[in-house]
Amino acid sequence: MLRVNHVHVAYGDVHILWDVSFSVGEGELVALLGANGAGKTTMLNSISGLLHPQEGEIEFSGRNITRVPGHKIPALGIAHVPEGRRLFPEMTVKENLEIGSLSPPARQKRKETLEWVFTLFPVLKEKQNQMAGTLSGGQQQMLAIGRGLMALPRLIMFDEPSLGLAPVLVKHMFQLIKDINQQGITVLLVEQNVMQVLEVCHRAYVIENGRIVLSGASAELLNNKYIKDVYLGI
Amino acid sequence: MHLLGQTLISGFLLGGMYALIAIGMTLIMGVMKIVNLAHGALVMVGMYVTYICFVLWHINPYAGMFISMLLLFVLGSLIQRYMINRLVEVDSILPENQVLLTVGISLVLTEVIRFIFKSDYLSVSTGFSGKTVFLGKMSVSVPMTIGFVIAMVFTYLLHLFLNRTDLGMTIRATAQDRDAAVYMGVNVSRVTMITFGLGSAFAAAGGSLLLPMFYLWPDIGHLFTAKAFIITILGGMGSTAGALLGGLTLGIAESLGATYISMGYKDVVGLVVFLLVLLFMPGGIKSLVKR
Ligand SMILES: Nc1ncnc2c1ncn2[C@@H]1O[C@H](COP(=O)(O)OP(=O)(O)O)[C@@H](O)[C@H]1O
Ligand SMILES: [Mg+2]
Repeated sequence: MLRVNHVHVAYGDVHILWDVSFSVGEGELVALLGANGAGKTTMLNSISGLLHPQEGEIEFSGRNITRVPGHKIPALGIAHVPEGRRLFPEMTVKENLEIGSLSPPARQKRKETLEWVFTLFPVLKEKQNQMAGTLSGGQQQMLAIGRGLMALPRLIMFDEPSLGLAPVLVKHMFQLIKDINQQGITVLLVEQNVMQVLEVCHRAYVIENGRIVLSGASAELLNNKYIKDVYLGI
Repeated sequence: MHLLGQTLISGFLLGGMYALIAIGMTLIMGVMKIVNLAHGALVMVGMYVTYICFVLWHINPYAGMFISMLLLFVLGSLIQRYMINRLVEVDSILPENQVLLTVGISLVLTEVIRFIFKSDYLSVSTGFSGKTVFLGKMSVSVPMTIGFVIAMVFTYLLHLFLNRTDLGMTIRATAQDRDAAVYMGVNVSRVTMITFGLGSAFAAAGGSLLLPMFYLWPDIGHLFTAKAFIITILGGMGSTAGALLGGLTLGIAESLGATYISMGYKDVVGLVVFLLVLLFMPGGIKSLVKR
């Protein structure tokens, strides 16, 4: 469904991503794992069209989206739940959700989708008229995810959804992402939290200094010596 | 006592129209993060359009205002798209330079109008420009009252637009977090262009409503840039409600100055209020409300 082929990305003269290739199949939950500064957000932003690769191609549903401008990406069926949530703090919870459904097909089903999101996150329904900026960290992350779901995406990308959450909430968050995937939405999950992610995802890629260094099924990676040494500290 | 009441009322009415201009500036500032120092020049061009409609084609200024708003919407959008945006696209250029560019645009507009109309003072005199009604013993100007009411209606309509429509919501979203708006599928360059157009249309509306109260000449734009700037600072930058409050404050301050000091010092009073606010209340009126 998503195919990234030999992508190179630079900010001005600073080359960040080197020959990155990976793919996400329909219905899969795939993780992109790596430490801070590895280039994960840069990769997601290149898929979302905020950045464009200098070299290489990005394909979605068989269509080349390498040069598609960012504002046209959601309508293709890709939602991006950004790092740090990036809610609109001075808009209400409900407005934050509504703005997730701007593309015409999602716009048409806005009311139904809103009800669905409210059943997933009852607390958002309760606080729908509050400003998003007044929510707690966990509630804000739920709102960010809900906003992504409002687009009725076929692929949803999460950028470090566990960032800043209490450990109990982190577990809950990953379970939730798994549930979303089981409802038939393809997921690309970006994380530093290697152990917990490998327990929920199907496959994972490991990125270091802008290069993919390892990939495989999650069970395989959990037993990989390098992963154990470097990321799990076992 | 009548004099004070009358002064306060006319200041309030005047302030409502000022607020309309400042709301336009605030809209642009919110989305573009720059102070549009061409705003007064846009007000001035808007006034000339309404003036021409009246003098050449005998179109009532309140109808001419709509023509002027439409034209300024287009002019503002084009200026944003083809002049300001050019600078935004060049990475190495600082946002400060966009502000300088707006100064340049202001000068160009002023000189183009001067070239066409010369520097003569013009004024629109409709049948009722000088008309007043009496409220008890206080006389209240008819065009100021009409202007105020129209200004408030526009402000309310803008409020509805920003809060009840998808396009309005995307304008607010773009102002709050530009990249996040792109993630939502907002075409932020289009939204920025529309916002600049809307802000310019509001400038034209405010200018047209003030036409009966001011002599019209090319340099009047600078006066309005200063007023809009003062109001936005007074209102605490960036909020429509703040601009409204700031506008009313400036209108009343000017009116008091004109009555009790001297007509000629009207604009100076505004500047003094501005300095006092900067010195003692740098957050604007909003900081009082929050406390
Ligand atoms: N806008 C930018 N301009 C220049 N360098 C950037 C920019 N954004 C990120 N970088 C650099 O790119 C590298 C990768 O960043 P990022 O993609 O955010 O990593 P991650 O999401 O994996 O933490 C880092 O070294 C970071 O400093
Ligand atoms: Mg990141």
